[in-house]
Amino acid sequence: MIWNEPKECMSRDERGKEQSQRLIEVVNRVYHNVPFYRKKMQEAGLEPGDIKDITDIEKLPFTTKNDLRENYPFGLFAVPKSEIVRVHASSGTTGKPIVVGYSRKDIELFSEVVARAYCCVGATKEDIVQIAYGYGLFTGGLGMHYGAEKLGAAVVPISGGNTSKQLALMQDFGSTILACTPSYAAFLSEAIEEAGIDKKDLSLRAGIFGAEPWSNEMRSKIEAGLGIVAYDIYGLSEIIGPGVSCSCEVQDGLHIAEDHFYPEILNPETLKAEKPGTVGELVFTTITKEAMPLLRYRTRDLASLNYDPCACGRTNVRMSKIQGRSDDMLIIRGVNVFPSQVESALLEVEEAKPHYMLIVDRVGTMDTLEIQVEIDDRYFSDEMAELNKVRQKIKHRVESILGISVTINLVEHKTIARSEGKAQRVIDKRKI
Amino acid sequence: MGVKQLSIFVTNEKGTLADVTRIFREHNIDIRAISVNDTVDYGILRTVVSDPEKAMEELAKEGIVSKLSNILTVNPVDEPGSLNQIFTLLGDHDINIEYIYSFLVREDGSQLFVLKVDDKDRAQTLLENNGVKIIKELY
Repeated sequence: MIWNEPKECMSRDERGKEQSQRLIEVVNRVYHNVPFYRKKMQEAGLEPGDIKDITDIEKLPFTTKNDLRENYPFGLFAVPKSEIVRVHASSGTTGKPIVVGYSRKDIELFSEVVARAYCCVGATKEDIVQIAYGYGLFTGGLGMHYGAEKLGAAVVPISGGNTSKQLALMQDFGSTILACTPSYAAFLSEAIEEAGIDKKDLSLRAGIFGAEPWSNEMRSKIEAGLGIVAYDIYGLSEIIGPGVSCSCEVQDGLHIAEDHFYPEILNPETLKAEKPGTVGELVFTTITKEAMPLLRYRTRDLASLNYDPCACGRTNVRMSKIQGRSDDMLIIRGVNVFPSQVESALLEVEEAKPHYMLIVDRVGTMDTLEIQVEIDDRYFSDEMAELNKVRQKIKHRVESILGISVTINLVEHKTIARSEGKAQRVIDKRKI
Repeated sequence: MGVKQLSIFVTNEKGTLADVTRIFREHNIDIRAISVNDTVDYGILRTVVSDPEKAMEELAKEGIVSKLSNILTVNPVDEPGSLNQIFTLLGDHDINIEYIYSFLVREDGSQLFVLKVDDKDRAQTLLENNGVKIIKELY
């Protein structure tokens, strides 16, 4: 089933007209309501009237994660605070999160695009959706929740973790759709095997997985382990959350809700548009959002676009699976981690010095993060207890900033290669 | 004065000990005693060497972190029960031992024990007052 056929199966011609109209409107709104954008446009010598159709988008200034941080918490809101009905936040690089506000209409839009995604994976109101994404400031849980309710499916809002309960409810309730991160799905499939549960006793038939990159090999493993078809959902809280795009039964790219989120693929160096099919940085403009519209938001995710109509009947543009990042952000157990966060955490621990190396690996289905920190003569003690104390101190500081557990290892001075240019700080051993 | 112990930070990797001892060899530094306990990721190599100041300097030149400290070293009489006397004395006076290692002095064949205790000065006075020979300097 296609949730919103008129919007999802529009001709390219009609699509362009609608996007042009919506772009003109959003540019007017941010120019008049968001000082940040007015200033940026004025600096570029632009007035709202200069934007006449969607092709003029390339004249507009970019928005970066750093802009969101500098306008923390509510600086980019385009509506009065009384119109905000919800805020979400994601981890930032220096301890301050990125905050996103939603108006009532934005929540409605969020539910709409997630409902479309559920339909992409073949869900209907007959389904029982077990939502094992985290609920809270993270957009995953609540986003998937509202979308499933809009569709009319029965929601099991169990949130992440508590694996034995996940398995019990999966059996008792007969959950048919599982929504979570791919790594948690892989973990659950192993837990099912360990618990000796027969897949035939489960009713699961589809999984809607996102919030971190995953490979086709991992998809096959999850599909075999859970006896389901696995689908890819993409999103980021800056744009809305999950539901920016989702794969359909054809499994050849993710359909972008481009009547709301206008995508561009740019060369990350030159910031010039790439041809369809070429991999570049994904940039989104939210052309309908009220509370916090963003112009040309640089996601730093690398992907390509395909404008050909899909065999499923939808005509909206498809993006490839995410191919990587144009910055050094890592996604570890679904959490965004920047090496610079580790650096700032180390600088806060007086005994540590900022020579470090991140080693990311995957043990079974769990991502692991080891941080090697060079020992410094200033805090070298000839007592193991003292060294372990330093290690604990670093661990606590880093974990409180990153929000995930890490292993800290002290290494000899000068073990970590010094570099003239950009230091190599990360060894990612995972096979994505 | 006392016996100087050189503590060196080492990671649990192949070749680490060879590296440290190569530096000693190249600078003609004699190892009198050496002790490494089992370690998981990293540990501390403790040594008594012929020229500790020079050893530390040469290690530093190669980027190896070390630390020099005075350590309580005793020379118990060579008869059954002498160590028991020492440990009983320390225990009765609430002095905790963190680690011990021993080595032989080639010249006179005497066996020395390095004792890391939580209160070195008190331990030294206590042992001296009870007739235990304390090594003040190694030649």
